[in-house]
Amino acid sequence: MKRNPLILFFIVAIVAAMLFAGIRMARHHRANGPARGQLMGNIAPDFDLPALDGKNVKLSDLRGKAVLLNFWATYCVPCKIEMPWFVELQKQYGPEGFQIVGVAMDDASTEDIAKFAKDMGVNYPILIGKESVGQSYGGVSVLPTTFFLDRDGKLIAREFGLRSRSVFVDHIKQALSQGQAEQARR
Amino acid sequence: MKIFLASMLLLLPAWASAQDELGPQGPAVKMVFAPVITIVQGKPATVPLSFRVSSGYHINSNKPKSDFLIPTVLKVEATTDIVIGRTTYPDGKDMTFAFAPDERLNVYSGDFQVDVLVRPLRSVEKGKYVVRATLKYQACDNSACYPPKQLPVSFDVRIAKAPPPRRSNPAQSPHAH
Repeated sequence: MKRNPLILFFIVAIVAAMLFAGIRMARHHRANGPARGQLMGNIAPDFDLPALDGKNVKLSDLRGKAVLLNFWATYCVPCKIEMPWFVELQKQYGPEGFQIVGVAMDDASTEDIAKFAKDMGVNYPILIGKESVGQSYGGVSVLPTTFFLDRDGKLIAREFGLRSRSVFVDHIKQALSQGQAEQARR
Repeated sequence: MKIFLASMLLLLPAWASAQDELGPQGPAVKMVFAPVITIVQGKPATVPLSFRVSSGYHINSNKPKSDFLIPTVLKVEATTDIVIGRTTYPDGKDMTFAFAPDERLNVYSGDFQVDVLVRPLRSVEKGKYVVRATLKYQACDNSACYPPKQLPVSFDVRIAKAPPPRRSNPAQSPHAH
């Protein structure tokens, strides 16, 4: 039996379309939240999480500041490498209206997380993360995952895994220079 | 041929989109081999379970160098017919990674084997039994780590009947003549 090449092409086109749609649906079901691509350029999903000092931190309360939102875990060695950079960056850019927020996404006890943060000399709030918060950011399946918010709370960049310090500096500068709050400040 | 190439070109964006949509997928650790061991009732035997870590990833060994790191652990479910004994893990390799050149981590990568000691009860019926277990591991690659995962695994144990106990010859009583 001779196959019509056009029919074959048509079948492949349908398979490609189904694959595309299937992956999108699977992604949606898996994350039960927005796909990562849909987050960028939009206002960061808000949350209200307890910090190690017992007080709650609400992300939207930081509006007006550029924010580096870092999802990490105590078992994540690359996360540990970034922390001293973040401590320096908080000192350097804090006076310009920059705030780092760490969200611990592991099963370790609060005491262990606090000990880890203390050992690392962390000078920014560490919040105890929840799965639902991770899901609202498209599912945090890679650690570290870092988001950058401009002064309006809009997500302008994200990085999966450890990146060089200069990458963070570039995003921080961009976050500090963007947003209506920044325009008003000028 | 042209149609084939055109088809592949059509599938390429879908594949690329899949990569972008799903993001980094993280590693897969899978069990590659578990022999069916035949064991005699009441006798212990070791079942070697072979695992493979995806290329480019590593998982912590059973004895990582820091309390904060999550060790690889095989948890074997208790059964009523087979006593689960000691689980023996291989030594990990001390390795340094680009993200922490000054820190040596004790890890498994590629293939590794975990041995499980099992001993069927003397009273257990002969036949094939399934033993279930879960491998808990936490993996990283050269720049990122992935949340801990649990891999369900199972292996078969064939239990054979123990040979009847050897009869010792009763001491010959001296014949009285």
